[in-house]
Amino acid sequence: MHDASYYKKLGFRCGLEIHQRLATKEKLFCSCSAQTESDTVIARVSRRQRAVAGELGIVDRSTSFESSRERSFVYNMFKDTSCLVDVDEEPPHMVNPDAIETALRLASAFGAKVPDEIEPMRKQVVDGSDPSSFQRSMFIGYEGGIDAGGGRMRISSMFLEEESSGIESTASDHVVYNIDRIGIPLIEIDTDPDITSPQQAKEVALKIGLILRLTGKREDGGVTPCVQRGIGTIRQDVNVSIEGGTRVEVKGLQEIDSVDVIIENEVERQVRLLELKKSLVAKKAAVGSPKDLTHRLQASSAKIIKEAVSSGGAVMCARLEGFAGALGAQINPDRRLGSEISDYAKMSGVKGIIHSDENLDRYGLTDSEVSSIRKELGAEDGDAFILVAASKAACERAMGFAIDRARMALSQVPPETRAVLDSKKGTTRFMRPLPGGSRMYPETDCKAIAVTKGTMGGISKYTVYLEERVSRIRKEIPNPQLAEQMIHSPRLPLYEYITSRAKGINLVVATTILEKLRELERSAVNTDLDRDVFLSIFSMYAQGKITKAAIGEILRYSPKTAKEVQGIVSTNPLQRISGSDLKKLIKKTGKKESGDKVREIMSKYRLNVDGEELNTIIGG
Amino acid sequence: MYGKDVSALLDKHGIRVGDTILLLAGPERYEGVLMPRVDVGDSSIIVIKRKDGYNMGIKYHAGMKIHKLAAGKGEFEFPTAGAEHSRSLDTVSLIYTGGTIGSKVDYRTGGVYMLTKPQELLYEVPELQDIANIHVSNLMSIASEDMTCTEWKKIGREVAGAFNAGSKGVMITHGTDTMHYTSAALSFMLQGLNGPVVLTGAQRSSDRGSSDAFMNLICASHIAAKSDVAEVGICMHSTPSDNTCSLIRGVKARKLHTSRRDAFRPVNGSPIATVDIGGAIDYKSKYRKASKHKSRVSLLDGFEEKTALVKFYPNSDPGIIDFYLGKGYRGIILEGTGLGHVAVSPSRSELSWISRIKDAASSGAVVGMTSQCLYGRVNSAVYRNLRMAADAGAVYCEDMMPEVAYVKLGFLLGNYGEKKAREMLPVDIAGEITKRTEYTEG
Repeated sequence: MHDASYYKKLGFRCGLEIHQRLATKEKLFCSCSAQTESDTVIARVSRRQRAVAGELGIVDRSTSFESSRERSFVYNMFKDTSCLVDVDEEPPHMVNPDAIETALRLASAFGAKVPDEIEPMRKQVVDGSDPSSFQRSMFIGYEGGIDAGGGRMRISSMFLEEESSGIESTASDHVVYNIDRIGIPLIEIDTDPDITSPQQAKEVALKIGLILRLTGKREDGGVTPCVQRGIGTIRQDVNVSIEGGTRVEVKGLQEIDSVDVIIENEVERQVRLLELKKSLVAKKAAVGSPKDLTHRLQASSAKIIKEAVSSGGAVMCARLEGFAGALGAQINPDRRLGSEISDYAKMSGVKGIIHSDENLDRYGLTDSEVSSIRKELGAEDGDAFILVAASKAACERAMGFAIDRARMALSQVPPETRAVLDSKKGTTRFMRPLPGGSRMYPETDCKAIAVTKGTMGGISKYTVYLEERVSRIRKEIPNPQLAEQMIHSPRLPLYEYITSRAKGINLVVATTILEKLRELERSAVNTDLDRDVFLSIFSMYAQGKITKAAIGEILRYSPKTAKEVQGIVSTNPLQRISGSDLKKLIKKTGKKESGDKVREIMSKYRLNVDGEELNTIIGG
Repeated sequence: MYGKDVSALLDKHGIRVGDTILLLAGPERYEGVLMPRVDVGDSSIIVIKRKDGYNMGIKYHAGMKIHKLAAGKGEFEFPTAGAEHSRSLDTVSLIYTGGTIGSKVDYRTGGVYMLTKPQELLYEVPELQDIANIHVSNLMSIASEDMTCTEWKKIGREVAGAFNAGSKGVMITHGTDTMHYTSAALSFMLQGLNGPVVLTGAQRSSDRGSSDAFMNLICASHIAAKSDVAEVGICMHSTPSDNTCSLIRGVKARKLHTSRRDAFRPVNGSPIATVDIGGAIDYKSKYRKASKHKSRVSLLDGFEEKTALVKFYPNSDPGIIDFYLGKGYRGIILEGTGLGHVAVSPSRSELSWISRIKDAASSGAVVGMTSQCLYGRVNSAVYRNLRMAADAGAVYCEDMMPEVAYVKLGFLLGNYGEKKAREMLPVDIAGEITKRTEYTEG
């Protein structure tokens, strides 16, 4: 791992975009559940999409690229979690006021300013992930800031937008999406490029996550969280560039642990690409035009060629002058310039390309076939070639994309949106060109939303902020380690719900939630109980009706209601024996050493007698 | 539209929508392109487009400073494409009348606005130029709900003119809400039709990549260029998927959903054909075929505007008929219940429609009876109450939809007078009445 000075020398710039699902009951523009798990597919709708000019009459480079891929999209619809709005068969309903309130609450938590009027916008997305071909998005905050990673991080903007749909499957000519999650409200938080190292990026991401989770609304004597928790509810995008390189966005990092290694690798990738560019330019490298070599290779026994030729397809090649060695040069773990070019070609639906820096034996291409290709292309020593075999139309599109990418190797690090390929290795692949601002236009089906000082005042009055919550927890839980665990625990709202109602038992609640529940879960006990069940157990404890040891015992039964809790206590029985009853019990043990008395009673009444009380009576 | 204060400030600095501006409010700085302001809402909000493409609203207050950083290009113009003509393709006329299909964002209202240049549509659907030589006629730009019989006639004349000038077929882009009225009117008005007249529209505006306009236009142009149908039809999505469109007879089509792509369904019949995006036409029922002998298309364009469509419902006041007769109306189509009922002997006798129907008939007006069920046929004999309405003078309109019966009655009265209108109302003239009710799914 390099230190910050290494990155400073490279002219490293890095910013984060954090996307987090809000914990509203309903979706952002309709009344479908924003929480429910998927039910069964009730209908499939198939669509085509195309790029249209944006508000300024310009077709955005990312949308026109996607449109040229000519794929169709199938949307799986679900009964409770999707409706006509989600499949673009009905105009959006009014913006969910809960989502607006929550988003503004979070804006205040990040110290952001809010616009006087929120303008719903459409962000074109033609990869099919939205049946309407755009994602609705609203700019809701700007010029905020937080302390994180040892520095001040500026928050440039915050957005409230719709979740996209999830991919079910992909084929060369179509993609199947599930639209159950589409329209769930998301908040996006963008930092300025103030981050100075990959390690700091990770720390900033962790801090933003913590603010999101710990900011809440004060109501019902507890704190209602602003955001959902669990896998897939938060995603990080990182923007990285170095001097001479370009801004590249890596999308959808779900594991925060990989943030630093992904950034390290992106820096490495740009460094290597710039080195390659320098050497290619020095060699006067050039990219040739594609040539149809189907007739030359139709007898080939190479599997990929045989398959394409037998189904009436084509084989196309192009000469890359001066590229020999460059295509096979490693730019990231298991990634080469050749794989970058192949990623572009894949966008046409082909499986990839073959290039001459690869071991061509592996594909079954003979030496004489290779020489014949080189001869046809006029390739000399020091030249490379790329080959693609598929249907003629796919070949032409694939070659077009591949050649574009090869040309870029001579001039720049292309501005791209990339996806994580392997989160352990921290590698990424090309998804689409980086979008510009021209893909935004107003959402004309919705009215703008006025935000007054009164609105913001009302919101902040009921907001519980991170600092307040953290300092309270640290005060309530004297064990610092336990307090930190509680701050990061998904069960923090449960702790707060109980301790605000059953007083004076904070430590017992904390240890039960953080330690006992984990222990029970390891023995396959269901601990996902209603919060009022927990409350009834802890209330009995607080009132001295049961012992601490009995708490775990009751939970072992996974009671569903407070009444069931009562039943468990009376049938087992688990009532606490204390005061005069306990004294009677001690008397019954007869004349013994104090230690023996304690042992005898505890062996029989471990769950009913509080050890401390017992010791006090016997000792006294 | 910006309010007085903001407009004055902008004028003072010579700032126009589209210019890049800097707004200073104390320590706050806002930079972006000035966007037009929606008509509704707070007119003192200044909307700018930020560099990231997002719009934001900033409330104007006195003391705010504004600077023009760069001049914009003036009005936002969408790219256009002219039609390139090929000798091997037939000519199809595209008559543009307005509606969602040719709409874009209106920055004045924040709503959807009709395109003024059909060429903008050709830019976005270049496929049309491979199907036919498209001759674009920008006839009008009218929202569906603003259409009247004046526009029907104007469209009819344009259609006749297009055929007589050599078009193989005609496409009409139209707002969807009243498209089935226009299609019915054209079905009756156009005489000697010898090619397809296809109305099409969109349920989602064409400024979005998911719009149904693209496929509807492509499918409609396939029909207009390649089919031998010599009728007026509506061509829109068959399902919510972008797979096939249905060509539905103009007098049997109805919009049955407010927003779905497949809102238009054939009522009391099957579609004439389905057509996929590649141009494969699958004929589903009998239709009038174009003959090889070219004939001149003409327009019978009388239309009696004093024709009304009246809905019967429980508690409805039959005095509405008096109202119309008082205003000189000559035709009334009733939308009765079930097989064609109106109240005959309700507990409150003033709610009976029988005497009013009699009054109308004896005054010479034509009263037609249809059903609000839409699906099925009215019948004047099954119940005594039906017979009473028929005896009072109501003409039972078979399996004709109320809206079609309304257009037909206006057309008949406008061209033939009351006596002939009464005779012809229950007789098929353009496919609006079928003798047998065929079984259809759904």
